[in-house]
Amino acid sequence: MKNIVIGRFIPGNSFLYKMDPRTKIIALIILMISAFVLRGFMNMFIALGLILLLLLLGRINIIRVIRGLKPLMFLLLFTFTFQILFNETGPVLIVFEQEASWTLHYSWLNILAVVGVVFFWFFTRRFVRFRLLYLVATLVGSIALLINLQLGYVFNTGDLTIHQNAVETGFFIMMRLIIIVTLSTILTLTTKPTDLNLGLESVLKPLKYIRINTEEMAMIIAIALRYIPTLLDEANKIMLAQASRGVDFSEGKMKDKVMQIVSLLVPMFIISFKRSDELANAMEARCFVPGNPRTRLHQLAWTYADTITIIISLMALASVITLRVVGINV
Amino acid sequence: MNIIEIENLSFYYQADKPVLKDINLTIKKGEWLTILGHNGSGKSTLAKLLIGLLRAKSGTIRIDNEELNQNTVQSIRRKIGIVFQNPDNQFVGVTVRDDIAFGLENLSIPREEMIERIETYAQKVSMSEFLNKEPHALSGGQKQRVAIAGILAMHTDIIIFDESTSMLDPKGRRMILDYMKTLNDEGVTIITITHDMKEAVLSDRILVLKNGEVLKMDTAANVLKDKITLEKSNLELLLPLKVINRLEEKNIKNEELRSYLWQLSLTG
Amino acid sequence: MAIKFNRVDFKYQGFDNKGYLALSNINVSINAEGEFITLIGETGSGKTTLVQHMNALLTPTSGNVTIFGLKIDQENIKKKKFRLNPIRQKVGLVFQFPEYQLFEETVLKDIMFGPKNYGVDEATARERAIKMIKVVGLDESYLDRSPFNLSGGEKKRVSIAGILAMEPDILILDEPTSGLDPLGRDALLRVFNDIHQKLNKTIIVITHDMNTVYEYAKRVLVMRDSYLVYDGDPHTLFSKKNIENWNLDIPDIINLLHHLEKDFNITFPKQPQNVDELLTMIEEVAK
Repeated sequence: MKNIVIGRFIPGNSFLYKMDPRTKIIALIILMISAFVLRGFMNMFIALGLILLLLLLGRINIIRVIRGLKPLMFLLLFTFTFQILFNETGPVLIVFEQEASWTLHYSWLNILAVVGVVFFWFFTRRFVRFRLLYLVATLVGSIALLINLQLGYVFNTGDLTIHQNAVETGFFIMMRLIIIVTLSTILTLTTKPTDLNLGLESVLKPLKYIRINTEEMAMIIAIALRYIPTLLDEANKIMLAQASRGVDFSEGKMKDKVMQIVSLLVPMFIISFKRSDELANAMEARCFVPGNPRTRLHQLAWTYADTITIIISLMALASVITLRVVGINV
Repeated sequence: MNIIEIENLSFYYQADKPVLKDINLTIKKGEWLTILGHNGSGKSTLAKLLIGLLRAKSGTIRIDNEELNQNTVQSIRRKIGIVFQNPDNQFVGVTVRDDIAFGLENLSIPREEMIERIETYAQKVSMSEFLNKEPHALSGGQKQRVAIAGILAMHTDIIIFDESTSMLDPKGRRMILDYMKTLNDEGVTIITITHDMKEAVLSDRILVLKNGEVLKMDTAANVLKDKITLEKSNLELLLPLKVINRLEEKNIKNEELRSYLWQLSLTG
Repeated sequence: MAIKFNRVDFKYQGFDNKGYLALSNINVSINAEGEFITLIGETGSGKTTLVQHMNALLTPTSGNVTIFGLKIDQENIKKKKFRLNPIRQKVGLVFQFPEYQLFEETVLKDIMFGPKNYGVDEATARERAIKMIKVVGLDESYLDRSPFNLSGGEKKRVSIAGILAMEPDILILDEPTSGLDPLGRDALLRVFNDIHQKLNKTIIVITHDMNTVYEYAKRVLVMRDSYLVYDGDPHTLFSKKNIENWNLDIPDIINLLHHLEKDFNITFPKQPQNVDELLTMIEEVAK
């Protein structure tokens, strides 16, 4: 749990912290679109460089962001591998065709076997010391399976060829994911959950024209933010209380596991219902009426810096589109 | 002047199991009333009726000359606030500041005035330096003080304390009792709901509830004296009174000691 | 010696990696028989953390706790096959809110849950449930009821029966009487006293009620800011001068005694142990 960086606010002090949450959200959306439009190795690296610069200027711990990217590693490597295996467009880069043993066999059972290996990896990885090595071994093993197994009806075979488009597309998908996740991490690292909520409410306000009440949504999110730590704390206490009655959460057969989970969930539900009932009473007693107009203590203040940020983001988008239209995809 | 008038108030969830039966009660402005009763006597239900969280099956409640009904409930809730038992389940805001602001936001108080009131009332309950703290960094007593500030900031003139001290440690409890006293001295009408005699004797009058019915309604001193009522309602005698009773039983006449013990029990 | 703390520190890991010391240098021993201990102190002083070490729900950051011969320290808990679960059968811990543990459809099943986790067979578990529901002062008709339709006091009793059914040697209760009215509180305290005397078990009760401490406990532990500041009998504790610094209340008996001594210039031969003794003593003086 401790390594989850996405979605967590870390107190700090830089221009990124002082920025209006609305600005950050809008800029994030614009830059995300830009990342999707962007093509070309050089351009990608320039974009990544700019983001690094932003991290440095915003005094954000880069190691922390990289740690946040770690859970994505699996997704990144797999999209890349699948591109290489299945994308057969564009000029061929490398062919392993000299020997027949490099032929890949695609059948449903083969694919199922690969999925099985991946699952095995997923559940056993926490027991292994060198995780990255284990992941690479799993990927190589999966390819080896496709080469060596010929289970059931093989509907397609192909030499293990690596095409230029596969490498390019795989690389672009990876880069875009990294850029998007890094940008979102910047947003959540530098914005208090309450401010983020306030910003989202404000940005989503136009939704009221399609009859979605953003204020109520914001209130629900605010209450959730307030009570998530309390509920986690409570879940922990329930676990301890059941452990005191001999429930051993680290052991037990499948049948026991079900009972263990029931012994956690039932008290959790009952306590949460009681809590929400009392909270609703407390809110009502203090004159809260859903849907009634309210004034707000926290109000967002738009400054010049915010306007400039939006303009810069828009300029980034414009230049990316220009590059694409002009055809500079280096 | 009566600030609360209750006439023939009854409430039940199932018609054959009444929770409150035919309650009549008037509370004067600036008075401190205790509603005393054992667990399940209906005392918390009475509080919920007063603040319009439940609707009476029969009878009327008038608060500040306004009859409580569907149309008036919002304006009545501006006059009467409640501090509940569990400090955690009434803390709405993410920080102390946000929590005090919650009621004010609901009343559509302009932002500048809101900031002013938050400062004033946080100071009143000595929570000024905690304004940016989150609830998990506060003790139960501190959370209850925030709840009091949140109500005072709405310029409410009646506060109900529904067993607000029962989940606190001795220090937190003493502090909340001190605030009750201070507020009452400043003219706030106070209603405390409790089963603790020591808390009850601090108030002006005591209403003793048993199984939804009024067993006795009198000054704190007269209720204290009434052994039969207290026994009937499963409440305990204060220790000095136990001594007085013992002396009477043994027919020992020591007037000086008796009146001393009596004074002692009145101070809690 | 059933439980022995040796220089125990415990640190909660905070989100900011700074952490927060909940126990500092705790040294204390508890017997498996014949003790009635109350544990007192302000909210946040470390009482709950301390008792959660007694049945190994928490393990010390440094120092060690020995529970029924099993030494628990940082080194041992890292070992594979080091199992803490059996300890919790010997030291039963009842949490403050019964809602944390009640989950079965019937009271009977809920009480049987603990023993069954420790491999007790169905029939024996049922027998124990029937026995324990009476020990906590409820009758057998409760066994078929849903634990969620009970009053607060009844829920508390069922949760205690659920722990007792595991037949622990030591029973620990975290604020068992908070929120109960005087009648409910006294009835429950009598139940603890019965368990203590008839079943000869050690009872440890966390409480804020000094009358409970004074009238029931043989031994008191006082926690303050993560330190154990007092370990001894209640009478000596309440005759100490600095007790107000610990933010503790004074028991009613002592309070009345002090008032009478001060304002009436009466000296009592000894501290009365309970209300009856006090009444008799005042009676003597008043004559």
